[in-house]
Amino acid sequence: MHPACRSRRDFFQWGTNGLAATALATLLHEEAQATKPTTTRTAAPHAKAKRAIQICLVGGLSHLDSFDHKPELTRLHGSTLKTDEEVDLFFGQMGLLRKEDWAFRPRGESGLMISDLFPEIAGHADDLTILRSMESKSANHTPALFLANSGFEFNGFPSMGSWVSYGLGVENESLPAYVVLNDERGAPNTGSSTWSSAFLPSSHQGVVLHGGDTPVRDLFPASPIDPAADRDTQAFIRAINALQTPAGDADAAIAARLESYELAARMQTSIPAVASLADESPATLEAYGVTNPATADMARRCLLGRRLLEEGVRFVQLFSGGPIAGTPRASWDAHENVKENHTAEAARIDRPVAALLADLKQRGMLDDTLVLFTTEFGRTPFAQSAADQVGPGRDHNRYGFTCWMAGAGCKPGIAVGSTDEIGWKAAERPIPWHDFHATVLHLFGIDHEQLTYYHNGIERRLTNVHGELVTEALA
Amino acid sequence: MSTTSSRAAIAIQLAVVAAMCVGQTDLAATADPPAATVSFRHEVAPLLVRRCLECHSGESVEGGLALDTPEGLAAGGDSGPVISDATATASLLWKRVDAEEMPPEHPLSAEEKAILARWIDAGAGWQGGMLDLFAVSTDSRAGRDWWSLQPLKLPQPPAVEAHASWARGPIDGFVLRGLERAGLSPAAQADPRTLLRRLFFDLIGLPPSTEQIDAFAADPSDKAYRAFVDDLLASSAYGERWGRHWLDVVRFGESDGFERNFQREHAWPYRDWVIDALNSDMPYDEFVRRQLIGDQTVAGREGAAATGFWTAGVHNTVVGGSERMKKLARQDEIEEVLGTIGQTFVGLTFNCARCHDHKFDPISQREYYQLASAISGLGHGERLIELPAEQEKLAALASTLGEMREDLAALESAARQRVLKARNASDPPRPAPPAAMARWEFEDSLDDSIGGLHGTAVGNARLEDGALVLDGQSFVETAPLDHDLSEKTIEAWIQLSSLDQGGGAAVSVETLDGQLFDAIVFGEREPRRWMTGSNGFSRSDSFAGSDEVGAADRPVHLAIVYRADGAIECFRDGIPYGQPTRPGPALTYEAGQSEVLFGLRHRPGGGNRFLSGRLLQAALYDRALDAEEVARAAASGSDHVSEDELIAVLTASEQESRARLQTAIAEAAASRKEQAGKASLRVYTLTPSGGETVQLLARGDPALASDVVSPGATAALSALTPDFGLPPDAAEAARRQQLAAWITSRDNPLFFRVIVNRIWHHHFGTGIVDTPSDFGFNGGRPSHPELLEFLASRFRDQGQSLKWLHREIVSSATYRQASDPRTTDSKAAGIDANNRLLWKGPVRRLEAESIRDSMLAVAGVLKSHAGGPGFKDVSITLNNGTTYYEPASVDDEACFYRTVYRFSPRGDRPALLESFDCPDPSSTAPKRSVTTTPLQSLSLLNNAFVLRLAELLADRVAADAGESLDAQVDHAWRRVIGRQPTAEERTLSRQLVAHHGLPALCRGLFNTTEFVVID
Repeated sequence: MHPACRSRRDFFQWGTNGLAATALATLLHEEAQATKPTTTRTAAPHAKAKRAIQICLVGGLSHLDSFDHKPELTRLHGSTLKTDEEVDLFFGQMGLLRKEDWAFRPRGESGLMISDLFPEIAGHADDLTILRSMESKSANHTPALFLANSGFEFNGFPSMGSWVSYGLGVENESLPAYVVLNDERGAPNTGSSTWSSAFLPSSHQGVVLHGGDTPVRDLFPASPIDPAADRDTQAFIRAINALQTPAGDADAAIAARLESYELAARMQTSIPAVASLADESPATLEAYGVTNPATADMARRCLLGRRLLEEGVRFVQLFSGGPIAGTPRASWDAHENVKENHTAEAARIDRPVAALLADLKQRGMLDDTLVLFTTEFGRTPFAQSAADQVGPGRDHNRYGFTCWMAGAGCKPGIAVGSTDEIGWKAAERPIPWHDFHATVLHLFGIDHEQLTYYHNGIERRLTNVHGELVTEALA
Repeated sequence: MSTTSSRAAIAIQLAVVAAMCVGQTDLAATADPPAATVSFRHEVAPLLVRRCLECHSGESVEGGLALDTPEGLAAGGDSGPVISDATATASLLWKRVDAEEMPPEHPLSAEEKAILARWIDAGAGWQGGMLDLFAVSTDSRAGRDWWSLQPLKLPQPPAVEAHASWARGPIDGFVLRGLERAGLSPAAQADPRTLLRRLFFDLIGLPPSTEQIDAFAADPSDKAYRAFVDDLLASSAYGERWGRHWLDVVRFGESDGFERNFQREHAWPYRDWVIDALNSDMPYDEFVRRQLIGDQTVAGREGAAATGFWTAGVHNTVVGGSERMKKLARQDEIEEVLGTIGQTFVGLTFNCARCHDHKFDPISQREYYQLASAISGLGHGERLIELPAEQEKLAALASTLGEMREDLAALESAARQRVLKARNASDPPRPAPPAAMARWEFEDSLDDSIGGLHGTAVGNARLEDGALVLDGQSFVETAPLDHDLSEKTIEAWIQLSSLDQGGGAAVSVETLDGQLFDAIVFGEREPRRWMTGSNGFSRSDSFAGSDEVGAADRPVHLAIVYRADGAIECFRDGIPYGQPTRPGPALTYEAGQSEVLFGLRHRPGGGNRFLSGRLLQAALYDRALDAEEVARAAASGSDHVSEDELIAVLTASEQESRARLQTAIAEAAASRKEQAGKASLRVYTLTPSGGETVQLLARGDPALASDVVSPGATAALSALTPDFGLPPDAAEAARRQQLAAWITSRDNPLFFRVIVNRIWHHHFGTGIVDTPSDFGFNGGRPSHPELLEFLASRFRDQGQSLKWLHREIVSSATYRQASDPRTTDSKAAGIDANNRLLWKGPVRRLEAESIRDSMLAVAGVLKSHAGGPGFKDVSITLNNGTTYYEPASVDDEACFYRTVYRFSPRGDRPALLESFDCPDPSSTAPKRSVTTTPLQSLSLLNNAFVLRLAELLADRVAADAGESLDAQVDHAWRRVIGRQPTAEERTLSRQLVAHHGLPALCRGLFNTTEFVVID
């Protein structure tokens, strides 16, 4: 029997038994030296989500000033936190308790408390599923960012987008499955390690989309080539490769190479088309904030994100914030002054993110598109200052913080879990990243325990050996 | 899971072979006939081991119930006794099992329950002592009887009957036996061109030349083939090819990873060492021993370079402030390195036993910490290796230079005195500086002129012309502080030798271990700007001052004021420099534990931490000066004499002598500098600290430390003792020696099985065991177990020569088979689609490196590399403490070396390498994935490197083939594809060249399947 046929048969057999069917097919292809480029795949049968867009706030959003209202903290402002334990801080300075810098109000019909830091996102409160009891294993930026992305605090593990790509493949073969859009101020620390496919096949790597004429590396010739010469050379390659591919009984790897050139040619058209905002109406550009310099960077990327999702990209990841250190801060890392830092950062993203939610909803895409709004950790309820002062900044807080999800399969207009009365530690239904990841995969119709890849002695999972569904968040 | 399943599918086809797996112990209880009595040894004990002991034995037992000893059984657990008198139904143990509460989620089968019931009914007797979870393999884990842990055997190669004329050696006998069992036949030998290309790419990673192909086609004899094998194994390209495979396994990278991802400029000696060691066919045990303990056994560069193995991986340099975070980061690092050691050398995943006993292999958590103790001296750093012969030359040059400098200093010193004398008489008095705690005039000594913080030079730091001269490799350290210092001001008059330096400090106050420091630093995070240096940049927010322009031409006064409230303010020439910052609290430097450095940012010396320039004076105040005081300090000036003043008092002949001396000194200094570069070598490598006393950490948590353990290994290998005979506080060197001895022992079967399988893997694309770094329960089972034994035993007894092994493999008929479907067994694809039984030759897409190297080779522009720093095809940008590597200049001729010599940071690889599955060195890659994607095709079509090489190849073809279009086309095909084009291919090629020129054809040929896929 032909190797490719064998794989296909196994694929279907497996498909009737459960998930990871596509992942299995990929592996069989590979073992038969026959990795297909990217096969069109449909989402898993019970999937609520077909695609996702993740907005990653780099540096650590203060939950206490945004999505986690703590009246008790307001009351205790200026007093000392009484605790016997050694507090796991990054800079090790523990000032007096500090109240929020923005007023909280009940929003929408749900009445969810959201502060004035995000007035426009707050307008969509009834669409949000707020997770108020997130917790992380690390209070150190890079390990914490790795954890949020890959479930491990080290280099070398596949990110969630890569796992989703591995599990479900692409909808549109002429676009990558997983696209990354960086802040104009720079990529987050460690660059591509953050969206790495690590030990998964490199086809599941996040592909960075840049501005400019070559949105993806090597999409067009690196030096000018006469278009006719380019076209004829590609035709020549296809012709020669077809000649070199034995008719009828082609090795699947060889057949895949042939096909990959067809897809490459299609990408040369489809990527510039999706990356251009030229066919968006002035009203849309205005709504996202593309025309306003303060919001333009995020607005462009949110709009681009919607366009990519619309065209069949499986997972889009947007970063809000660049390199972690530096003055002034180019991220949410508000050690010095939360009010100043978060005012500036929120001004860049509030409107674009709200517009994205509105746009997805209006197009009916929110039903099967998952929107994730995450950060690596929260900030401390006490100020980062001398022990007898209420300084204006807050340190890293890994014990409790807030993320939210919206769209496909999420129960809207609710908050899950809670932190303690001062917003320091997750209290009710703590949600470690493994649970968050398990839930996201579940929404994609994937059992997180079933989506595995063998690497160095272990069937690796996004959730390691952990992960419980946050059922409270599910519709 | 999916991999296991696919492997299972293969296993079905290989059932006959798999059944032969050595040491596979089947413990499945026999279901019938039910016996009246029950055997503890044969029925109950295996049942307890298989189904209960995972949770009810070892360091911490669930529910307080231990089921591995009769005492534990009798004592019961948290819920009381589990066995009641003589009846099963009354016993808690039975009730929980019968209710299918235990084992959780995986209830016992009816047969298993029956065994348990009969046993309890019969009085729950116990024969023998403690049950050992690791004693025997079960269907869910490997025991010490696991096939790969057994001593090596030397099976007899099977006699060959059918296909006798096909077989060439013992390997073929084993392979034939597997084929016969599956009813398959081997394929005939591949045609000469195909075979030669396969051999070249396998052994050296480069294609044969057209002349070599022609020669072999003319004489495809075994003798000619073997001559090629000899030549290739003797070529230096062999080590470059196979060194790359090794570097994949040890995840060799040239940056730290994690947040900062700093580059390692001096990590390359390890890469060169690996290549050289393979080329010299160093016996494998010695090859490994040097990587583990070469610093103890081989002097100088060799040892330092080899132990670069220890520091080849990632290293987190931002570990946070709290003790907990530091300890955790250290444990993480130890785990990562132990994982690499176990997987690389013995195919065991030691790392999986950090938080609990290994879930699948017989490695206990205690053994993990014994191993952790063995490597607890692990430390990243640079060693400066002096090269003796070159050092002598350096000393001679330095001596000449010193004499000339003395002459010049004498001449200038006299003149200086004349200037100062005149100046003091005529100038208005300069303001007195504020009272300092310590002041260094650098006139004629390094002494503190106020207190006792006298300085001592380290390296070539010297006084000259009333200044401390720092050469960028030296510094001055002072006596420890005699009282605590919190609020403070540090100042210096600084003249830089160049404004293009970055990272050095004029003055630093630091703790003696260099862990905490505050320093006047130039150009580290922002080129040409001053900043306050601090540990982990924790107090180093930018002052946002202006770029320095003057400090190379004249001394400038820098003062940094550290206030008690944490505010930090910088002044340049008495004027505020940028904005004050307030990053955090002020530190207190304790008396006796802190010191002042000049010329070095913090200990240890190395990296970019040295300043190059002159300090005319420096001072330390134990208070925060205000702006007025700083201005006064700056105006108090130094005794600096300007060039103009000096010349004015020199006679014409003095000026002439001075100019002559200056020229001679500049020349001598340049030679000295050049020689200094040759006289010692910086090597990024293991810098061992004293070993630590290691405790077992429950759940891997540093907060839950329990028993102290001694350095040791695992008892999984019964032929070796895990006991190193060392106390818990043994010297670091002894611990590593013992570990190296354990790993490389002749009695360590895994050591040989693993390397033999790795080599096989790279020749055939899949190993005999298809998980090259995991020979445990989760790893693959051997497709040809006896062949693996045979090769591993013979390899060990043949002097552990890797080249011997290559020769054995590539000489076999198995290796030489054709892969063309027209010549292979037509049934085979249906029976063994993945060719695990080896009924045909291997077909593989070239690795990213081979594709790139081949382009350079066929274009005739590949440069040979004599080792040394790698070529850089990335730009390196420091942005706020993080290093970004962006692909750049990939088509520059300076990069026309083999890819193994590429500077290889973690993070962004050029698209061509990345899309063809070149792994990021963040984690080990014993087996690369092979994908085919549109992005890969786009890279091969459009990458700057490919386009440039297509042009260079076109130039070469035009030069060699002359004007004739047909000749050019044929020549291009022969160079790139290794054969003449067919008529149809020639027609298509002619058309392309006629319309768009030769570069278009060359670009096209690089994209053909035959160029990147090797039969």
